[in-house]
Amino acid sequence: MPLQPWMKLLSTDDHLIEPPRLWSDRLPARYREAGPRIVEQARGEGRAPAEVWVYEDRIYPYIGLNAVAGKSPEEFGLEPTRYDEMIPGCYDPKARIRDMDLDGVWGALCFPSFPGFSGHVFLDGKDRELALLCVQAWNDFVLDEWCATAPGRLIPLAIMPMWDVDLCVAEVHRVAAKGAKAISFPENPSPRGLPSFHTDYWDPFFTALEETDLPLSLHFGTSGQAPKTAPEAPFAVTITLFGCNAMYATGDLLFSPVLHKHPKLKIGLSEGGIGWIPYLLERADGTWERHRFYQNVNQSVRPSELFHRHFHGCFIDDRFGVEVRHHVGIDKITWECDYPHSDSYWPKSRAYAAEVLADVPDEEVHKIVELNTRRIYNLPA
Amino acid sequence: MSRRPESERSDWTDLDLLTREEAHGRLLAEIADTDVRLAGLGESDAAERELLESRLRALREAAEDLIDHAQGNGG
Repeated sequence: MPLQPWMKLLSTDDHLIEPPRLWSDRLPARYREAGPRIVEQARGEGRAPAEVWVYEDRIYPYIGLNAVAGKSPEEFGLEPTRYDEMIPGCYDPKARIRDMDLDGVWGALCFPSFPGFSGHVFLDGKDRELALLCVQAWNDFVLDEWCATAPGRLIPLAIMPMWDVDLCVAEVHRVAAKGAKAISFPENPSPRGLPSFHTDYWDPFFTALEETDLPLSLHFGTSGQAPKTAPEAPFAVTITLFGCNAMYATGDLLFSPVLHKHPKLKIGLSEGGIGWIPYLLERADGTWERHRFYQNVNQSVRPSELFHRHFHGCFIDDRFGVEVRHHVGIDKITWECDYPHSDSYWPKSRAYAAEVLADVPDEEVHKIVELNTRRIYNLPA
Repeated sequence: MSRRPESERSDWTDLDLLTREEAHGRLLAEIADTDVRLAGLGESDAAERELLESRLRALREAAEDLIDHAQGNGG
């Protein structure tokens, strides 16, 4: 059994649901009405109302699978939900640890939910002072409350006030001093109306990440551009193609100036699997060999070399990716759980990981499930 | 007050949450699997038996808590 009992599973992609009072407990009194707060929204006769976030004048629901007990998958559907329909491990850190214990998972890096996985909801804020306080409140909740419940097991990730690079730099240093281990950021800022990775706008931010040795975690979908082939195409098309967002982000960064100007920058591709990586690197190298001379791209370093210097990926159930792991790079692979999303294998994540990694040598399994994450995210054993 | 158009909600932010009912169903399935594994153990598997019995207790407690909470909320 390559996944030994003493190996600690560390997930680089989990999620938390913000508790209802996260912002009202932290914002100054003058902002409590405009800041994020939970209100009820009717769901139809005979049903308890949904609970949705209101931020300034906009509504943001959490959505879950509808009641599935006793139903076949053909009857499943998605709808706005409420806290008492969620499992407590979504929003209660003590319950989360209990669920991780049941799942055989030791550590988890948790992305936001209501703010968007990269915190981009606060880009919508009309009041920038409030938006900054909201970003800082989320980070303080994660650092002071969520992760403080189980230091070393709940791994702190922070979000950025990404409308202002100087504020980002200040926030990187603030959260690094408080113990943050990663920074979430859009996989591509351009579709969010922000300067792209091909400009020099983000250089001070990337320098701050190098100085603090914090990895940049790019969760797929955070560009705001979901893969969509046609207006009539079912959501299954988007779900199937979502991993392509990680390919876009990788291609974009490999041919940008970012990695040449920031040699210590670490980039995590959260969700999206790893099996596509060897293909994309071959394609990128081929493009660079044939087409670099007439373009404003670096002329001396192959894209695959840049990838191996800077990137790591993660997987839940990418059996092909595990098969071609040496083409990806054993040191570039981490494991993810994706709790509390229904495509996680909870409460069988460890058993499933053991099955997927059954043909992998022990020392490689240990790197994939634990040691790589400890090295990249600076997590002492 | 405006509802954001779905096209703008293109990450997984609000999709795909594991609900209590789905989680309870998964716990019941895992309890059944663990029962089967326990029944298949021989007398020489004391250490494995202890581990599985401990896991079974934890799974049952978690399943009961989910149900208790749902009943407490009229669910």
